[in-house]
Amino acid sequence: MTVENQIPAPVASAVLEHVVRSIVDNPDAVVVSGSPGRGRLRLEVRVGPDDLGRVIGKRGKTAQAIRTLVRAAASRDGVDVEVDFVD
Amino acid sequence: MEWVETTAKTIEEAKELALDQLGVAVDDAEFEVLEEPRPGLFGRTRGEARVRARVRPTKPRPKVERRDRRRKGADKPDQTDDAAVAADVDTEAVEAPAPTPKPRAAKTAARKPAKKTEEPVNDANNTPTVEAVAAEAEKFIHGLLGALGLEGTTAVRHDGEDIEVDVDGENLGVLIGPRGTTLLAVQDLVRVAAQRRIGDHTTRLRLDISGYREKRQAALARFAMEQADEVASTGEERGLEPMPSADRKVIHDALSIRTDVETRSEGEDPRRRVVIAPASSAN
Repeated sequence: MTVENQIPAPVASAVLEHVVRSIVDNPDAVVVSGSPGRGRLRLEVRVGPDDLGRVIGKRGKTAQAIRTLVRAAASRDGVDVEVDFVD
Repeated sequence: MEWVETTAKTIEEAKELALDQLGVAVDDAEFEVLEEPRPGLFGRTRGEARVRARVRPTKPRPKVERRDRRRKGADKPDQTDDAAVAADVDTEAVEAPAPTPKPRAAKTAARKPAKKTEEPVNDANNTPTVEAVAAEAEKFIHGLLGALGLEGTTAVRHDGEDIEVDVDGENLGVLIGPRGTTLLAVQDLVRVAAQRRIGDHTTRLRLDISGYREKRQAALARFAMEQADEVASTGEERGLEPMPSADRKVIHDALSIRTDVETRSEGEDPRRRVVIAPASSAN
């Protein structure tokens, strides 16, 4: 279980975790965590060192797509989220 | 792989036209400049730029090495990605203290591994089959629906290297988003998960959700016709709102049968838009 239970956006976190795990080479290294940001929830997704490029994509295209989808998912949690990627 | 050829005043414009026709992003296309525009007297252009383009059939080297590395890892007995995923899913199902959509997420995900083993196995020397790409795409979508607590079905059609994945179900609007922006994001991610990740460089994958794309295409084509009628009757060109390349292609295609107007694209993505102009008799 890599999504911490206390993240108050279960749908957005589950979507984020599924998407990132589906596109990396090392799904077991994917960890999603949440922390309060300015007026919205900050979701941080950690991936293996070799996978950050895949997750960000050319010109940040994949990262942008992930943010779009996760923000849409967060509407089902009734919260506003931002997504950060770290390795 | 099919090439398209375009001409325009500059090479950049010709490339953009080609991208519109192919309906792909610049990163997914490759170009050949067939003719450079030659400047004429007094800055007038004498020759037009001519380029040809196609959907990029191969990706740069690092990706190939990445793929091989992954295969090596997957060969280890009992340490396959599937086993890992399956193990993880099980824990998830047991642990989930039932925050709203989670149980269903686990249930949907749990069906995946069994299905995965039936997928065609790809030889390291072969590119993945269309079936393998389609199976990955469906797996991705079902996992996504599960995570969202939604239910839906997927249907895959393919014609040669063109794969179309249709998703149907109730309340899928969250996956479509305003003007289909979320749908395009999901499509991008399906492509990464189902094509790039497994080293596929040849198939073309499109995603539709609840028939949105089809309806949007029909509506766009109707709208384009109405706009073209006005352009033709007023004689004044008209710029449409910015839209993604796939939508621009629909407009260009819809109006290509008309001889009284011409279309072109202007500006840079994401603000790039189609301009409809009266047909110039000079051409």
